[in-house]
Amino acid sequence: MTDATLVLAVLAVPLGSAALVWLMPTARAADRLNLATSVATAVLALALAVTALAAAPGEAAGGSWYVVDAASGVFLALVGVIGLASAAVSPAYLRHTGRSWFSARRSHAWYYAAFNVFWAALLALPLVDNLALAWLLIEATTAASALLVAFSGKRSALEAGWKYVVLTTLGLAVALLGIVVLFVAAGGPEAGLGRLDWSRLASHAGTMPAQTTLFAFILIMVGLASKIGWAPVHNWLPDAHSEAPPPVSAMLSAALLPTVLLIAWRAKLALEPALGGAAVQELFVGFGLVSLAIAVPFLWQPLPWKRLLAYSSLEHMGILALGIGFGTPLAIAGVVLHIAGHGVAKALGFYTAIPLLRQDPSAAESPPRGVAHASPPTATAMAVSLMSLAGLPPSPLFVSELMILLGGMDAGLTGVSALAAVLLALGFIGLAHALIEGLLGESAERGGRPTSRSARAVVLLAGTATVALLALTIAAYALPDSGIVAALLGSGS
Amino acid sequence: MSTATIAVLVALGFGVMLARRRSFAIWLLTAQSLLLGVAALTLVDEGPGLLLAGIILVVRAVALPALLSLTRRRTPEPGPVTPATTVVVRLLVATVVCLIAVASVPPLGLGDVAAEHGAIALLCLGIAIVIMRRPALVQVLGILVAENGVYLLAVSVHGGLPFAIELGVLFDLALIITVAAAFAHRIHGEIGSGDTDLLRGLRD
Repeated sequence: MTDATLVLAVLAVPLGSAALVWLMPTARAADRLNLATSVATAVLALALAVTALAAAPGEAAGGSWYVVDAASGVFLALVGVIGLASAAVSPAYLRHTGRSWFSARRSHAWYYAAFNVFWAALLALPLVDNLALAWLLIEATTAASALLVAFSGKRSALEAGWKYVVLTTLGLAVALLGIVVLFVAAGGPEAGLGRLDWSRLASHAGTMPAQTTLFAFILIMVGLASKIGWAPVHNWLPDAHSEAPPPVSAMLSAALLPTVLLIAWRAKLALEPALGGAAVQELFVGFGLVSLAIAVPFLWQPLPWKRLLAYSSLEHMGILALGIGFGTPLAIAGVVLHIAGHGVAKALGFYTAIPLLRQDPSAAESPPRGVAHASPPTATAMAVSLMSLAGLPPSPLFVSELMILLGGMDAGLTGVSALAAVLLALGFIGLAHALIEGLLGESAERGGRPTSRSARAVVLLAGTATVALLALTIAAYALPDSGIVAALLGSGS
Repeated sequence: MSTATIAVLVALGFGVMLARRRSFAIWLLTAQSLLLGVAALTLVDEGPGLLLAGIILVVRAVALPALLSLTRRRTPEPGPVTPATTVVVRLLVATVVCLIAVASVPPLGLGDVAAEHGAIALLCLGIAIVIMRRPALVQVLGILVAENGVYLLAVSVHGGLPFAIELGVLFDLALIITVAAAFAHRIHGEIGSGDTDLLRGLRD
């Protein structure tokens, strides 16, 4: 299968699945069809990712609108795996959903249709070779995922969904203005869409007017920041992550945020020659530090489980912004590892919310208590997730955070690295405290103990995630010298 | 595009910010969008891309307000939504924000300074409407006012933007506004009003 065919297949399968699953007459048929097509989508995405990662650094394949490079490979693998896992756990969530936005008979069909459109847009994002097309896809993710955020139809979910739609759409309007300005600044004989291709922007960046390009870049970054969830334009993030169905929260946090971050990263790499490294670095480092500083106080508060994970997303997007801003090989290796490790650990955390909320529905609105007593498998999964996210060794996030901080020192930003280290340490203490409080203490069990089938599923999930996290930690030692990092250092070209 | 046209576009944006009735605000937005579309059509000599842009803008100017009017009829308010701030405060804040933004933005290289300033002003007005107005439907109008600012800049680009972007943006915007309208309807069904101030349960 050629790259072009594979690219089309990766996008066509989830879109076709969205249409087919919507036509399914029963919930069970929708569950089964969605699982089957999700396996196919994930296999195709991973096959394309392997093709991309196997290519030599700088040897990106591409067509008229797409590019298959190392960055595409990393993000396709991430979105493919998280999408499949979310699809696999969705029936467990849907089986026990009480009310929903949609009628009981059609709720599964609508859920899976929106899920697949969302997934297709996420898979397309790392592949598109053009800033304007990337913007269109990001806007499309909002439309599809907003319905999923408000899926439960509860007042709080409607509030979260509404904030998400309004704030991210406004942010993206700002980014679109930046894209129009950049289109003008990019000039040249091409009047068409090609003027905003990543490679074309990179090759012409040196001739663009610096002031206009900087203004365009700032608008684009501020707009994208509202979708990535960087502070101070992150207000929708904690609400949407905490109110969405857990499999969708996992997609939002582990796949959507980093994938939009990739677009910001590609814009940085493409426009750096026009802007100079310092201005671009300051913007990323600024977003990173502010996000960390805003997130940490919330990690110290007693929060409901999913809301705690949401603020942890803010923290981790901040770390990634720092790593990309530092831009040294070590920091970029840390970013790659962090994206993968965060994806696995955060997805596990959100999936754990399914049995947790079934066992104790009050955990949706208050911090969990005594989970270790009520359900050891759920407690184990929570511990694996939260300790990995906190950066406790041997979590890959410990290694990645270390790489990013050392990368900052390599870049001559020792003060920034030191400040970030302090904030990360404070975040660690907050998460560790939340975990101890959640696992120990008096149990708030109200919904009964989990069934043996549910317990087995949680153990399987936690076991798989633990193996994946340990594998990532081991892989970290080879990552800095790998071709992936070499390719990512210049993936805008 | 003439300075007078741009001034009317901005004035209509202020009108949406100040209008008390949702129906009137929708009419003002329709007028703004139609004016923008017709203005683009008058610039066809500058590039064929502007013909398509104009047609898209006119279609958008009719279709999206029609959808919002339908939503308004399906979500009758039991009484007027109390504004968060007075008309004078809204006018003052919006004017100051627009003036500061216009004064601080560098030349964008279009060669049409009025269009650049108008675009920035409309974008800021759209954001201000979302922040300062409480009815869900008026917040959607704020998004459209901001998007009209972007379109104003886009039609002022020599030769216009590539039609793929124009069509894509129209499709995305239609999708988003449809989803937002569905939300507005659902919120009204849940709380009996489109007042987003009543949706303030999610806080830390």
